[in-house]
Amino acid sequence: MKFINIKSLLLVGFLSLFSCSKEFLELEPFQSVDLETAIETIEDYQAAVLGTYSGMQSSNYYGRYFVLVPDVMSDNVKQNSQANRAQLFSDFATNATDGIAAGMWNTIYNVIARANTVINAESDIPAAVQDDRDQLIGEAYAIRALAHFDLVRMFAQHYGYTDANSHEGIPIVTVFDKDSRPSRNTVAEVYSQVVSDFMQAISLLNQDPGSARISETAAKALLARVYLYMGNYSSAETLATEVIESGDYSLLSTDNYVDAWSSGNSSETMFEIAFSEVDNNGSDALGRMYIVEGYGDYLPAGDLLDLIPDDDVRWGLFKTDENLSGEYGTVRVDKYPNPSVQNNTPVIRLSEVYLIRAEARARTNDEAGAIADLDIIRMRALPDAAPTTASGQDLIDAILTERRIELMFEGQRLWDLMRTKQDLIRDNCTNSTCRVDYPDDRFIAPIPQAELDVNENMTQNPGF
Amino acid sequence: MKKALLCIMLGFLASAMYSQSTVKGTITDESGEPLPGATVLEKGTINGTATDLDGNYILSVSTANAILEVSYTGFEKKEVAVSGRGTVDVSLASAAIGISEVVVVGYGESRKEGLTGSVQSLGSEKLEQVPLASIEQTLQGNVAGLQSVTGNGQPGANVQIRIRGQGSISASSEPLYVIDGIPVTAGDLTRTNTTANTMASINPNDIESITVLKDASSTAIYGSRGANGVILITTKSGKEGKPKVALRTQYGFNDWAVTDNRRLKPLTSEQYTEMFIEGWVNRGETVERAIERFEGYYGDAVTFGANGEIQQVNVETDWVEGITRVGQNQSYDLSVQGGTDKVKYYASAGYFSQESPIIYSGLDRYNSRLNITAEILPGVSISNNLSVSFLNQKGMSSGSGWANPMYNAYFLAPVIPLYDEQGRFYGDHKSFFMGGNNPVGSLSGDDTREFDQIRMMDNLSADWEIVDGLTFRSSWAFDIINIEENFFRNGRYGDGRNVGGYANEYYRNQLNWIGTQTLNYATSFGESHNISALAGYESQKTTTKGIRASGEGFPNPNLRTLASAATPTQASSDITEYSFESVFSRLDYNFNYKYYLSASIRRDGSSRFGSNNRFGTFWSLGLSWRLDQEEFLLGSETITQLKLRASYGTNGNAGIGNYDAKSLFGFGFDYDGTGGGAVTNIGNQDLTWETSTNFNVGLDFGLGNVLSGTVEYFERESDNLLLNRPISATTGFTSLTQNFGAMKNSGIELTLNAALVETSDFQVSVGGNISFLKNEIIRLDEEIIDGTKIRREGLDFQSYYLYQWAGVNPDDGTPLWYVDESMTETTGNFSEASRVVDGKSATPDFFGGFSTFFRYKNLSLDGQFTFSWGNYIYDAEARFLQGDGALTPRSQTHLNLSRWENPGDMTDVPYFRWGGNNNSNAANMTRWLFDGSYVRLRNVTLAYDLPASALQGIGLSSIRAYVRGTNLLTFVKDDRLYHDPEAQISGVISSPVPNLKTISFGVDFGF
Repeated sequence: MKFINIKSLLLVGFLSLFSCSKEFLELEPFQSVDLETAIETIEDYQAAVLGTYSGMQSSNYYGRYFVLVPDVMSDNVKQNSQANRAQLFSDFATNATDGIAAGMWNTIYNVIARANTVINAESDIPAAVQDDRDQLIGEAYAIRALAHFDLVRMFAQHYGYTDANSHEGIPIVTVFDKDSRPSRNTVAEVYSQVVSDFMQAISLLNQDPGSARISETAAKALLARVYLYMGNYSSAETLATEVIESGDYSLLSTDNYVDAWSSGNSSETMFEIAFSEVDNNGSDALGRMYIVEGYGDYLPAGDLLDLIPDDDVRWGLFKTDENLSGEYGTVRVDKYPNPSVQNNTPVIRLSEVYLIRAEARARTNDEAGAIADLDIIRMRALPDAAPTTASGQDLIDAILTERRIELMFEGQRLWDLMRTKQDLIRDNCTNSTCRVDYPDDRFIAPIPQAELDVNENMTQNPGF
Repeated sequence: MKKALLCIMLGFLASAMYSQSTVKGTITDESGEPLPGATVLEKGTINGTATDLDGNYILSVSTANAILEVSYTGFEKKEVAVSGRGTVDVSLASAAIGISEVVVVGYGESRKEGLTGSVQSLGSEKLEQVPLASIEQTLQGNVAGLQSVTGNGQPGANVQIRIRGQGSISASSEPLYVIDGIPVTAGDLTRTNTTANTMASINPNDIESITVLKDASSTAIYGSRGANGVILITTKSGKEGKPKVALRTQYGFNDWAVTDNRRLKPLTSEQYTEMFIEGWVNRGETVERAIERFEGYYGDAVTFGANGEIQQVNVETDWVEGITRVGQNQSYDLSVQGGTDKVKYYASAGYFSQESPIIYSGLDRYNSRLNITAEILPGVSISNNLSVSFLNQKGMSSGSGWANPMYNAYFLAPVIPLYDEQGRFYGDHKSFFMGGNNPVGSLSGDDTREFDQIRMMDNLSADWEIVDGLTFRSSWAFDIINIEENFFRNGRYGDGRNVGGYANEYYRNQLNWIGTQTLNYATSFGESHNISALAGYESQKTTTKGIRASGEGFPNPNLRTLASAATPTQASSDITEYSFESVFSRLDYNFNYKYYLSASIRRDGSSRFGSNNRFGTFWSLGLSWRLDQEEFLLGSETITQLKLRASYGTNGNAGIGNYDAKSLFGFGFDYDGTGGGAVTNIGNQDLTWETSTNFNVGLDFGLGNVLSGTVEYFERESDNLLLNRPISATTGFTSLTQNFGAMKNSGIELTLNAALVETSDFQVSVGGNISFLKNEIIRLDEEIIDGTKIRREGLDFQSYYLYQWAGVNPDDGTPLWYVDESMTETTGNFSEASRVVDGKSATPDFFGGFSTFFRYKNLSLDGQFTFSWGNYIYDAEARFLQGDGALTPRSQTHLNLSRWENPGDMTDVPYFRWGGNNNSNAANMTRWLFDGSYVRLRNVTLAYDLPASALQGIGLSSIRAYVRGTNLLTFVKDDRLYHDPEAQISGVISSPVPNLKTISFGVDFGF
């Protein structure tokens, strides 16, 4: 009998084991939360916005290639003999399967998806933190605007390429849809979205979060640059003036200029992508593409060096490397000098805003104002430089030359060449391609083949 | 009770019909285990019967002096005279061929002749003292339809197993491993090591048998995890009797498996210097300028004459030689087993050590095990299998990382010295040459890349025979794996040079527990109906925790723990887990041991599946017909065994990430010193297992007492493939895991064994297996280009998709490609070439193994060959190693010596130019594709067993001495191939540690 009891107990025990199901199979992850409930509190908003900035640190974006590629395609940079990264771009020989083009495309759209997560989140936030939320959503709008602007610069011809700006841009993405296969918006539509997002950002931003993030003034500066690209010089001038007069930022002194490149977060930096000892791209950092301790793939072109006056403080952003000789010269870029911790990547600085206003004024016949702005930047670098006397096209050329020097290796030169419809001429050329006349299909990156493969609505850029 | 009743009934019937003398008895094997279904035949008549479940029979014979013929598949037929006895018990000896073994199957065991499915076993004699780090490696060539591949010679490297082909596109295609009933973790659990295998912790000497389950009938009982086949590993247990002690010792040497003339050679200083200058001259420079460059890099490593000729070589470093050694292989194992009728035990301790022929790379393993069973009450027994292992693996990076020694050693210019002026390993080339990596220094202790693994497995179970035939079993098991990885790069040269050295430490701990409850009932009814039924419930949960930390700036290169780091750079931890819960049942029925039916069903739920698809049901049906038990074959001397079987059923593949179904927002996306988060996974609540539908038909046969074999045909169709389908990157993501697409594997497997000579002094047997496999993607709406391959409907999964290399233009040494698949027009412009599917694939047309065994008295010679035919290998690093100067100023291999130099040169190697030569080294072209067909002498053992007479009086029961060669000979079809032909399943080679050739000497002692 005892036996029977044990038996029935065991059997009951055995059968009861069938019942533990439901919760046993409902396992929640430890490192993530459900997307539906991810953004509810102000802390959630903050985390999501920082995560969006974090995406911009990628070596495919402001961490390296998005800044490097337009420079190696320009007349500011030449290829070192053992260059092994971005050399197809540098040679104007890239193709649709290029990993760098795909890397930039995928990464920048991922940043847009992150910004959209913030912008489209639905939540009730206490009134006490409403301003904080506005600031964070404003930053997300500004990042979305900048990301679209960056994509359209890299993957489409510049704004003025067609008279009606009706040539193909890139798809505008404002909501997440895993099934979407968008076609390309026109460049006009993209710029209009960019302007509207920046406007929205400016209306929401109400705090100064530091130069690693976007303030209202920084958003205005970025929008001023967009207007400059669009040829809307009066709006560019107005916004640039607001920025300069805001007093939020000030130009570095001549003496502090070079050192500030090592430390970051200078008084004239309006927005930069920040990197720290624990949060950087290691050997994939932008600076390591130039310095000898890194890959050292690229060198400053003699064409650029020839434009820099003797005694200009900006010579401090170069370094001599005796191992280089012949057409490779003896000079290396030292603008991002740290071999271990990645230097911050500037996105926009106050000196650019002066140059935006100078160009806008020069192109709207305010030459005195233009010269004043230009000389602030010139004489900051070389205090005993002779004041500018040029006028007309010469003055505009002088401003563009100053942009070329002041913004060197910040990923701007190619865009300036394109929007001002200049030919690319490399005299100190170590590349297989030494001249590309404007206009040319190859000034822009190909749409990645992987995108074309899955998205039948996508079209490739001509020439690829 | 029932049995007795049955016997009485049978007896009654028999006597009623014939009223002649009746004989009864039990038929057993040599160890006394009953043999159910054995045939008992009155000699010279057709009067016969079969034994019941307990091996009992009752037979009416015409005369009290009748002779009984007792036969049983796989055993020697025996004739016994009744001689007037009423009870005749017969013990059969197992036959030399056509083993009738008890085969371990899912949640139980079965006699081989009762199987309806495709099941193949490997006994301990194939596993003991194999000089291989992982037991899975022993399966290669031994099991039809199974590919076992180690593409990396690193001791303890991950082993890829494919049972009946590639089952999945994105999810795992690896089988489920079950050790003593516990589904365990397999594969590589490390995070910073190039290749590792957590199964390398298992001591092959502890294994009684490995059983491979291949078809639905055998695997459906494992439900959503059975689709890629199941490998059941059973450890040894004690047998009744006095303690038996075995001491096994082995010592050997490891070298590259490919012979010297099949290896890539580095360039000498003279060759490198010539090519250095040639490379610049071909780029349009003068010899003087080229020498200037040379001296800029290498100073006075070479003295040049006035005309630029090499006058004297002052530095000559053979980097490949520097990292090469003769490795040692050692294995020592002590075990004891025995027991009483109530308590049985097996205990062992082992040490195994393997050094690869590349310095530093190696593995050390320590094992211990105790398996014990005790009958504590009548009908109630408990058992516990406990094993603990510790292993340490020292490894290196692979692929095109600068720090990979097998890559770097060829690139480093021979004019760079090995040591600097202070006698340290040279690192002053860091400003211009691959980060100053020095593979010899790195592997000689300047760097660290190792891990320790501690693994503990315990399985406690209780068996209770409630009533005769009804058994309840409760089994509780855990498997704990602890991994500690240490990675250090010195601050003087190599990857740590810019940060003063750095170190990463990773800790990972995995707890896998599983509880299995089963009820088993076996009975017979009527005259010939035998039935056994199984019902069970199982739950399992696996939790993995990890911690990682790193730091940089190490002032003392000998102090490598993070406590010495100037700057901590990372600290992070993570937890991930999954659970399974299942009910399952199996019914086995046979009629008179002639007609068999087996049906199984399992319902699985898993936390990995989306909430819309959480539970799935899998089933199978198997039938077999033992024709040799039919009257027309019974007693036949020609056809001694013939069995036809067929099965059909479904199972699944749950090899997806733990949280793939969920839409997730994750953290760790820090910015400016503050934590940030972002969308990490799109999620798909419909996500579920892949379904596999299997059909198998097989014929087992035996001819005379010489030949036995199996031929099988299978079709395996995988549907709802877990696929990382590419989506538009404008969504912010590039792929989404979905259930989509289908793939089919079909094939024929043939196994043959022949005992050609079989006398007490002399024995010759041969055996082999061959599998023909066809893989086809049968549904896929979008092509997926994946590296060198294309996944396209109608093609083999491993189809290469490459630019077609057309050789070198003899006029100017530039590369040529075919424009399209017609292979008619060539072009020197790479952008005009196109990628083509040309029918070449990494899947072999056929593969398998064959073996020979000779024994004369106490001397035996055992040989085993493995082969793979018709598969292609892609060398991913060749485009750099033979890059025609694409990467300045890296050295090349001896293959570049046959480069084009003068107009009219007919060669396949383009001219040499720094900076490259018209994309001559582009990726994904057939220039780097090789025929991977090979035949390899996998194992050959010459052994001598000391005769019993020699052992008398020294207290030993046996001594066996042997010499063994592993991978001793290799025949490669493609003479262009300068690599080991055993590549990983994908066919892609990435400068791995070379596979090993081992010659070992061993002595086994039995006490």
